[in-house]
Amino acid sequence: MYHAASDPAFWSRLQFGFTITYHYLFPQLTMGLAWFLVWWKWRALRTGDETYNQATRFWAKIFGLNFAVGVVTGIPMEFQFGTNWAGFSRYAGGVIGQTLAMEGMFAFFLESAFIGALIWGEKRLGPRYHFLAAVAVATGSWLSGYFILVTNAFMQHPVGYLQSPDGSLGIDSLTAFLLNPWAMVQFAHNQLAALVTGSFVVTAVGAFYALREVHPVQSRLYLRTGTLVALISSILVAFPSGDQQAKLVGNHQPVTLAAMEGKFVGGPMAGVSVIGQPNVKERRLDNPIEVPGALSFLAYGTFQSYVHGLEEYPEDTWPDNIELLYYSFHLMITLGTLFILLMTYASFENWRGRLLTNRGLLWVLMLAFPFPYIANTLGWMTAELGRQPWLIYGLMHTRDGVSKVVSAGDMVFTLIGFTGLYFVLGLLFLYLVGREIAHGPEEALITDLPQEPHP
Amino acid sequence: MIEAWYIVVSFMLIMYVVLDGRNFGAGMLHWLVAKTPDERRQVVAAIGPLWSWHEVWLLSFGGTLLAVFPRLLASAFAGYYLALFLILWCFILRGMALEVGGHINDRLWQGFWDFVFVVSSFLLALLFGAAGGNVARGAPLDANGEFSMAFFTDFQVRGHVGLLDWYTVSVAVFAIVTLGAHGATYLTLKTEGPVHDRSESYAKRLWLLAIPLWMVVSVETWFVRSDLTAGELTNPAVWLGMLVILFSAYVLGTGLKNRREMRAFVGSNLLIAGLLATGAATIFPVMLHSTLAPENSLTAYNVASAPRSLYLAALWWPVALLFTAGYFIFISRRYTGKVSVNRDNQGFY
Repeated sequence: MYHAASDPAFWSRLQFGFTITYHYLFPQLTMGLAWFLVWWKWRALRTGDETYNQATRFWAKIFGLNFAVGVVTGIPMEFQFGTNWAGFSRYAGGVIGQTLAMEGMFAFFLESAFIGALIWGEKRLGPRYHFLAAVAVATGSWLSGYFILVTNAFMQHPVGYLQSPDGSLGIDSLTAFLLNPWAMVQFAHNQLAALVTGSFVVTAVGAFYALREVHPVQSRLYLRTGTLVALISSILVAFPSGDQQAKLVGNHQPVTLAAMEGKFVGGPMAGVSVIGQPNVKERRLDNPIEVPGALSFLAYGTFQSYVHGLEEYPEDTWPDNIELLYYSFHLMITLGTLFILLMTYASFENWRGRLLTNRGLLWVLMLAFPFPYIANTLGWMTAELGRQPWLIYGLMHTRDGVSKVVSAGDMVFTLIGFTGLYFVLGLLFLYLVGREIAHGPEEALITDLPQEPHP
Repeated sequence: MIEAWYIVVSFMLIMYVVLDGRNFGAGMLHWLVAKTPDERRQVVAAIGPLWSWHEVWLLSFGGTLLAVFPRLLASAFAGYYLALFLILWCFILRGMALEVGGHINDRLWQGFWDFVFVVSSFLLALLFGAAGGNVARGAPLDANGEFSMAFFTDFQVRGHVGLLDWYTVSVAVFAIVTLGAHGATYLTLKTEGPVHDRSESYAKRLWLLAIPLWMVVSVETWFVRSDLTAGELTNPAVWLGMLVILFSAYVLGTGLKNRREMRAFVGSNLLIAGLLATGAATIFPVMLHSTLAPENSLTAYNVASAPRSLYLAALWWPVALLFTAGYFIFISRRYTGKVSVNRDNQGFY
């Protein structure tokens, strides 16, 4: 069981958890928005319709702010592998270092070379190259996500490695490591979830302008494209990608699945609880309302399938925060279901031509945008809390990965520093993005302005 | 293979210092060379849209170091814990200053971010300089190859020293002056008008100041690491490095004197690269020297990954390098030429 004071990894876990959760609020929008920019830039190239260029210009500004905060909060993540998780780096650096290095070499170089050109270089690059800059940034951001997910998938389901004579891990097969089946499913699930965030944000801004009756052409574009992408991505994120993810957990981490569902006793016809509070001390779910057989069916394909219970495993192999894991998973599922319902209704209204006049729906769409952020965070909490007590599943315990030479005093100091700095950063970001949204997309044609000759 | 990877990671770190060093220099001189708000935006524009590409060299260096020399990264990052977080926080501040400083056309807003830019650039140059000093001097590595160091202790030169002592601080001062001179040389090339003229005069004065400081640091190093200087004389790579340093100093000096700005800038890049490469050649194969017992030192051979990991990384790394060289050339060609105060400033330009 978990006791903060006796765990040398506590402060490092808290700091990594806090900084990664905060950081990932930004890349999920970057990855979600990137293909909107590519699509609009492409439409502008093909149709010559200035509306699409205005949309690209407006969203590129929000993208740029979001990207900047994503970059500066991302650098600490890589450093912490060494500063706080030296044991982990020493043991598995030969494996996870490969993907972290690839992320820098293949993804970050691509993104960072073209981001300035995408945001500021429209005139300097001309329409074709500006479109290519959008493609480059979108590709770079998704590649970066891919390498990080391969790294995480190795921690969830290690493949392609070998054990060196000195006990540390090295790569045996680069292809097995990079094409880890766990990584493939996780990548699909995670990127679709990022698209859900991106499309909800685009929709919300469209709804905001529609309700205020400003920027009519732009708001219609955002609402139509936003709700369509949101509908498709919220369905795909649940089925098949989320479903496949749950099956992988069921097959490779059965104790995690039991903890996610608060199943203490195993058996066939295992149900999914709609409501219920895990009571770990008494080893039961309080106040349960269950759909019988649903878990057996979802995890293993038939209602009669046997689902393992936590009691079948020794307590020291249980995830160390079952309560939080259970709620993370269940709230994610609940939110995901609500997203599908909301966007089905919105798409129906759009099809009937009533989307722009249904003010009640517009209000809901405008206020819905924080929830995909919450669902993404809960999904990652499910993945990471569910992996405990392992740092690399079956190979290394979290408590063994921590830096032994760093004092708790130093860790608390840096955690306080991050809290303060990130609080200010958050205020700054909200202020600047709020300012851009209040200002809105430029209606005047930028081509009417005097052109500067290239040097 | 291990030697090749030592060269690769040294190359990446040198690329980083040379590329981002000029941004630190421009940042430190920001208030001195640019007086009006327009001139200050001109300096930021001169840094250009590739500053984050420069920073990625450090990130890629970190990732590659983890992949090929994991035990070094683990020991050094955990041992220098607080210093690394200060560097991180400075990066956050500098990144925000560059990205959002020009976002609002307002005196207070831009003045505030100019201040953040100057302070964070200055601290970054200082911290990287001190880091260089610490790597040269070594760390109290124990038999497990681990250590932990306080920021400062009693400011003695020997014994239980901290990260900042007289030796590392003087290396940091040398780094501040050299990177300041490097930044001024870059701004001379990249700007016109009053900023150009002030940068030119700073470049000359700072490079002249760097020479005596370099001598001081060399003499100090001789005292701090007398074991190193003995090996230096028999190492051909070190002699080659010395030749590069002398040659680039000549190119830089004549470039500055004859106002051949590109020539001076090339010399400045080469000089810094030559200094660092000579340092890397001098300490090889030791990557982090133990001040407690020489046998505890971390060498390239005892911190490297399994041979198969090194081999597999060697397959993809050169491909990635070619790609990024391509992006760099593509973007740089679109941002050639000088930055003026009057140009329609679309953000960076």
